[in-house]
Amino acid sequence: MTTLPDTPYVQVENLVARYGTRTILDGVSMTARRGEITVILGGSGCGKSTLLRHIVGLLTPAAGRVLINGQDIHQASEDEQEVILRNLGMSFQAGALFNSMTLEENVALPIIEHAKADAATATTLARMKLSLVGLGHAGHLLPAEISGGMKKRAAVARALALDPQLLLFDELSAGLDPVTARELDELILRLKMQLGVVILIVTHELSSIQMIADQAVMLHAGKVIASGPLADVRALEHPQVHAFFDRQPRPVTMQQALLQTLLVNGES
Amino acid sequence: MLIPIHSADSASLIHLREHLLAEATPGSRVILDLKAVEKLTSLEAALLLRLVIEGKKKNLEVRFSSLSLEAQQAFTGLETNMLTDGATAAEDLSPVEEVGEQTLEFVAAGRRLLDLIGELTYWLVIAPWRGKGMKWDRTLEQITKVGIEGIPIVTFLSFLIGAVLALNSASQLRQFGAAIYIANLVGVSMTREMAPLITAIIVSGRSGAAITAELGTMVVSEEVDAMRTMALSPGRFLLLPRVLGLLCAVPCLTILSNLAGIFGGYWIGVILLGLGSRNYLQQTAQALLISDLITGMVKSVVFALLIGLVACYRGLYVQGGAEGVGTNTTASVVTSIVLCILADALFTTIFFYFE
Ligand SMILES: Nc1ncnc2c1ncn2[C@@H]1O[C@H](COP(=O)(O)OP(=O)(O)OP(=O)(O)O)[C@@H](O)[C@H]1O
Ligand SMILES: [Mg+2]
Repeated sequence: MTTLPDTPYVQVENLVARYGTRTILDGVSMTARRGEITVILGGSGCGKSTLLRHIVGLLTPAAGRVLINGQDIHQASEDEQEVILRNLGMSFQAGALFNSMTLEENVALPIIEHAKADAATATTLARMKLSLVGLGHAGHLLPAEISGGMKKRAAVARALALDPQLLLFDELSAGLDPVTARELDELILRLKMQLGVVILIVTHELSSIQMIADQAVMLHAGKVIASGPLADVRALEHPQVHAFFDRQPRPVTMQQALLQTLLVNGES
Repeated sequence: MLIPIHSADSASLIHLREHLLAEATPGSRVILDLKAVEKLTSLEAALLLRLVIEGKKKNLEVRFSSLSLEAQQAFTGLETNMLTDGATAAEDLSPVEEVGEQTLEFVAAGRRLLDLIGELTYWLVIAPWRGKGMKWDRTLEQITKVGIEGIPIVTFLSFLIGAVLALNSASQLRQFGAAIYIANLVGVSMTREMAPLITAIIVSGRSGAAITAELGTMVVSEEVDAMRTMALSPGRFLLLPRVLGLLCAVPCLTILSNLAGIFGGYWIGVILLGLGSRNYLQQTAQALLISDLITGMVKSVVFALLIGLVACYRGLYVQGGAEGVGTNTTASVVTSIVLCILADALFTTIFFYFE
């Protein structure tokens, strides 16, 4: 096996993220390495999408920094940022496809703009990417004409358009049927085989995590509560980690106790 | 005090609440006996909880007795903070803080507007030299949308305005036997004032609104973010083509509006007032000055820029989902019309003193 440089491709250092006065991430540090799939885990609303948005430079951190391939994405000059972004593909939680364009045009757009390919070549390439995610037949449809799961897959195809070094997928398999979800997982495992690709995934699907994750980072209440190889994270004796992997609902006993305080027994 | 509850429907619970709050002695303990109630809906449970909360405010301790297990199910979701009122509401700001907050917001808005202008200038002037040319196909698309598709309505309304101007002045001018001066009046007011303004108002209603709604929707559905992650700058791909489209289309529409307005006056003058076609045209030609035409064109360029900036700004800084797109679209049209009329007043004053 070829040896890969040891510095992580993505390094998040003490990231603090705020919306207004609400602190969402409070000193988060994590890394993602080449040739590995890193999953970001955590309850709904804990800030996973916010973390991804900081990693790709859409949001500016209140404190801390994000290094992509050794370069601070928020400090980089415009040209440097463009280089970073051209080597990066991201699929958003809700797809974020361009609504005025067909799926084919959606995928072809970055190819035409960045790879300086002619329209015909770009279309062919776009069709190939779409058929990778099982949408080979749907290229002529508009985003409004397809289902939520199809949008998600089309967004993955668009993220793959330029064969980027760094792939980020937000809630990849949520809302997909088991067969499609499985196919996507396999696609991602194949992508990993390409030399040096870094994959960061937000997902809730335990089966998918089990199948694809090398590294896991678990967020809770703005902090990283566990990170490292998946097996190590799973084995951790932390109540939140435990609750996540064993699907334990939040306790409801408290409500019962509260109701009891409003009750009196018998007649008085 | 023990109150037996026979039926826990909403009407009787509301009735009970009014009764209780008015009559029970403060500091006492009220026990609601729910023996007769087998099950509760969650609305009824919420009403019972309101009794506890509002009782507490009046220093009454409201408690339930003989609540069946089945009825207890209706209280699922109960949490501690629900037993006190309004704990989750945002705190009110003091007047001073309010002013401070608004000043900060105003300054931030100014900064964003300058950013927008800077970005447009960059993509227009600097970027082409660095090998990132303008998106002509997208600009052309916008020119078509704003310009070509705006032709019918601009022509029609300008024609009407020209005709109305002629009719209004006819009644006055005829008294002095000076009806032919209708040609002067229509010609001059169309070219200097009416044509640029009507066109600007129509365009901000048609195209300014469309631009804000379109950009706003793209922001809300994260399309703009997706573009950024693809290293496709919204300034280059979305904003500049729209502003340039307006800058090309609005002056052209204004010329059209001039022609249509003058024709409207001509139509009234010749058909209705029998002024004689040649006469009317000659009179118009004499009345029109190149400087008036230029004034009108300068105005139309400024109006186009105002509409474009306002529409892009409002679209790009939409907050709060679909509703935000709606409010910003309205605001976009209102702001750009107000700004255009203000600018027009300013222009007219300046030209008045410099002639
Ligand atoms: N634009 C925004 N303005 C204000 N608060 C926001 C905004 N976006 C997200 N938040 C808040 O930030 C927190 C984290 O949101 P985020 O979308 O990152 O969660 P998430 O972990 O991706 O959740 P999910 O699994 O449901 O996608 C949430 O509590 C949310 O209320
Ligand atoms: Mg999310």
